Order: sequence, then structure tokens, then C-alpha cells
Amino acid sequence: MPRPANRAPEPASDPHGDPKGILARATGARLWKDHSLLLWAHFLVPPVLAALVVAATFATPILAGILAAIVLGIAAVSARGLLSRLSQTEEARLALNTQLIQSQKLAAIGELSAGIAHEINNPIAIIAQEAEWAAHLIGEAEKGCSADFAEVKDSLREVRAQVDRCKNITHKLLDFARKREPVLQDVDVVRIIEDMARLVDKEASYKNVTLVRSLPQDLPKLRTDAPLLRQVVLNLMTNALHAVDTGGRIEVSALADDEALEICIKDNGCGIAPENIDKIFNPFFTTKPPGQGTGLGLSMCHTLVDGMKGKISVASKPGQGAAFTVRLPRRV
Amino acid sequence: MDINILLVDDEADFVETMVKRFGIRKMPIDSAKSGQEALTSLAAKDYDVIILDVRMPGMDGLETLKLIRARAPLTEVIMLTGHASLEAGMQGMNMGAYDYVLKPADFDDLLDKVRKAFERKQLNAKARKQGA
Ligand SMILES: Nc1ncnc2c1ncn2[C@@H]1O[C@H](COP(=O)(O)OP(=O)(O)O)[C@@H](O)[C@H]1O
Ligand SMILES: [Mg+2]
Repeated sequence: MPRPANRAPEPASDPHGDPKGILARATGARLWKDHSLLLWAHFLVPPVLAALVVAATFATPILAGILAAIVLGIAAVSARGLLSRLSQTEEARLALNTQLIQSQKLAAIGELSAGIAHEINNPIAIIAQEAEWAAHLIGEAEKGCSADFAEVKDSLREVRAQVDRCKNITHKLLDFARKREPVLQDVDVVRIIEDMARLVDKEASYKNVTLVRSLPQDLPKLRTDAPLLRQVVLNLMTNALHAVDTGGRIEVSALADDEALEICIKDNGCGIAPENIDKIFNPFFTTKPPGQGTGLGLSMCHTLVDGMKGKISVASKPGQGAAFTVRLPRRV
Repeated sequence: MDINILLVDDEADFVETMVKRFGIRKMPIDSAKSGQEALTSLAAKDYDVIILDVRMPGMDGLETLKLIRARAPLTEVIMLTGHASLEAGMQGMNMGAYDYVLKPADFDDLLDKVRKAFERKQLNAKARKQGA
């Protein structure tokens, strides 16, 4: 489908804007261009001073000693400065890379899984039909004779149950991969959070979990895609509910600054192991038993937040809970 | 601007009250008693917003939602439920429902959501037209 003409999104390969620009912002613009003078000085001053030292040796050894000390000092200081700048740039580059890679990975996997789900849907439907037909035939055969087909029927029922399970998975995959072109409306974020929280409340009360709302009533309206935001909030709250023990606590808060609106969902549950923290946004990554978790929730959240031009991040100490923060730009 | 609304619920009393309340506001709405009936109505008329009960005998709300989304991708669906089921809620939202309303529904709240859903449908239709 062609894109709407009134919106011109950046190319898909680079959803976060110009990488050089981001690098510059992240590091406070310390790139070669802005600092060529400094770098020239860094490379040229020490040899010049060294030459002076050599010259001074011929005049007086004491002067030469002092000069040599100064040269070493300057070289050390400038080398340290350069090193710290380099490592800052490197860090920023890494952070940027992980973000880009994550987004691209999600897009690629989304496409792949939609393809697979699509292909598998047809055979699954045929298996279901055939199982039904076989059950019907057995029912007919049973009428005419005294043989007991209970076990065959049982096994066919199991086939049906497993087929349903497959169907469930392929549908979730297709939902996951569904392209969602955001539709922007004026959105009352407090109300969205409150609505979704009410959906969680009942289930939370069974677990004796309190869902605390810290929502300022004067939060500005946000121009964003309402159902996408609902999905993100609901997925994050559900995860939090799964993570906490009986008697646990979940806190949903929101705040706004000039540039962005931030929603934070924090729980005091099991937290996330350090070795998993890089994996939780990957599709199919789950620590839940089979049948309970698909591992698609967070990767979908990541994709949705990307689509809203926002950022999602997590902070967690194992055993002390997790906090997911969604930051959405106020002007898109 | 008239909004074409379809209410799908097997609870006759609830449907009757809702039809009345929308009627008072000069917003006539259609109703269907089951998912199957809803799909038949959808084939005959282009609805802007469908208010859909999650729990219905026969074809359930989620199944119906899936078919509605496939047949009329621009039609927005608001899910309605008496039993706050988190899993069903999440599935509904993930399958592309616009919003969720808990029964007993506050009428003004529902009306507001219907208007927002309609606004989105129009924006979506406009964007598609420009993109086409
Ligand atoms: N609030 C949380 N606290 C602890 N772990 C979490 C939390 N949210 C997500 N996780 C971890 O991230 C994994 C992936 O989450 P998600 O993508 O929603 O898939 P699923 O919920 O199906 O497992 C979970 O299995 C869990 O290990
Ligand atoms: Mg989840």
C-alpha cells in the first residue's frame, strides 16, 4: 500500500534519524570536524616541544630537563583527553547500533514470521477439517457395529486441541507482523492508562496485587495513535502483573516535560536477570512456561513505540522488580 | 455528521436500553444478537463503529473481531465486556480493537469513545484516499 502523501516518514532502514546527528547529540558534538584544531595541536605540539628539548640539551641540561618534563605532561594530558573522547564516541556508537539493530531485527523477523504463519495457516486448516471428517466417519461407523472407538476419538480430540494451539500461535504471529500506520489523534493519556488499569484491576485483586496510579490530572494531551498506546500500556501492565508475587505492587506513573511525555510502569516483582536484559525485546524470548508466554509482547511494544517515534527502556535489579519507561515525543 | 453504529450483544435488555439511549441523542443505532448476525449486517451496510460484546454464545467476540477486521479494515471496533478478562482484553487490543469498555458501561463514556473511534475512522479513510 502506498504511503499517505501528507506524512513523509524517514526510510525504514533508519527510523531514528541521521546517525551522525544522534552521535553528535549523544556525545555533545565531539567529532573531528569541530575539533580539527585541537587534534592538530594534539599531534604537533609534543614533537615541536621535543625538538625544543633537543635544542635545549645543547644549551643547558637543566633547561632540557624541565622542558622534557613539560613535554611529557602535555603529551599525557592530551592523550588522556583523546582517549576519553574516543571511548565516549564508541559508547554512543554502540548504543545507537543496538537501537538500530533491534528495530531492523524486529522488522525482519516480523516479515519472516508473517510469511511462515501465512504458509502454515492453510495446512493447519486442512488438518482441522480432516480431523473433523475422521471424527464424523468414526461416529457413523460406531452406529453399525459394537466396536469401541473411544481411544481413536480421544486421539482425534487431541489432534483438534493441538491444531487449535497452532492456530492460536499463527494468529498471534500475524498480529505481531501486521503493519500499523499510526493514525494521530489528540489523546488523553491519563484516561488511557486509567482505562487499561481497570482492565487489570480485577485480575490483580485475585492476586492481592495493588495497582497504584500516580497520574497528574494536568498532563497535556498527546498527539499519538490511541489504540497503539493502549496496546503498549496493557502489555506492560500485564507483564508486571505476571512478574509480581501475591501481595505485590505495581505503580503506573506519567509525567511530561517540554519535549516528551513519559509513562513508567514499575513493579516489585522478580526482576530481570542481567543475562536476559538484552534479550527481553527479542521476539519469542520468554521465561514463562510453554503455553503461557509467547515472548511477543515486548517486541511488539518495541515496534509500536518505534512507530510512535518514541523510545522504550527498562531498568531492573533481579529480585527487586523492573521498571519500563515509554518516552513519547510531544511533537511528531 | 451521522455515525453508523452497530451494537453486537446477546443480552436483549442491554441492547434495548442502549438503542433507546442512543436514540434520545438522535443517533439511531443498529443491533445484532450474535457474531454471525453482525457479519451479515456488515455485509449489507458500511459501519463506522461496531460495539462488540466479548462473551457471546456461538461465535465469540474475539473471533467476530478478527472477521470484522479482515472484512472491513476501516471499521473501528470497541470491545465490551462484563467480566474483565485481562487475556481477552489484551488479545482484543492486539487484534486491532480501538478501545475497551467495561460493563456496566457508563453511557457518556461509551459515547465519547464512539466519537473518538469515528474520528479515527475518518482520519484513516482520508489518509488512504490520499495514499491511493
Ligand atoms: N515486569 C517484568 N518483570 C520481570 N520480567 C519481565 C517483566 N516484563 C517482561 N519480563 C521478561 O521478559 C520476557 C518477555 O516478555 P514478553 O515479550 O511480554 O513475552 P511473554 O510475556 O509472553 O513472556 C518475559 O518472559 C519475562 O522474562
Ligand atoms: Mg508479555
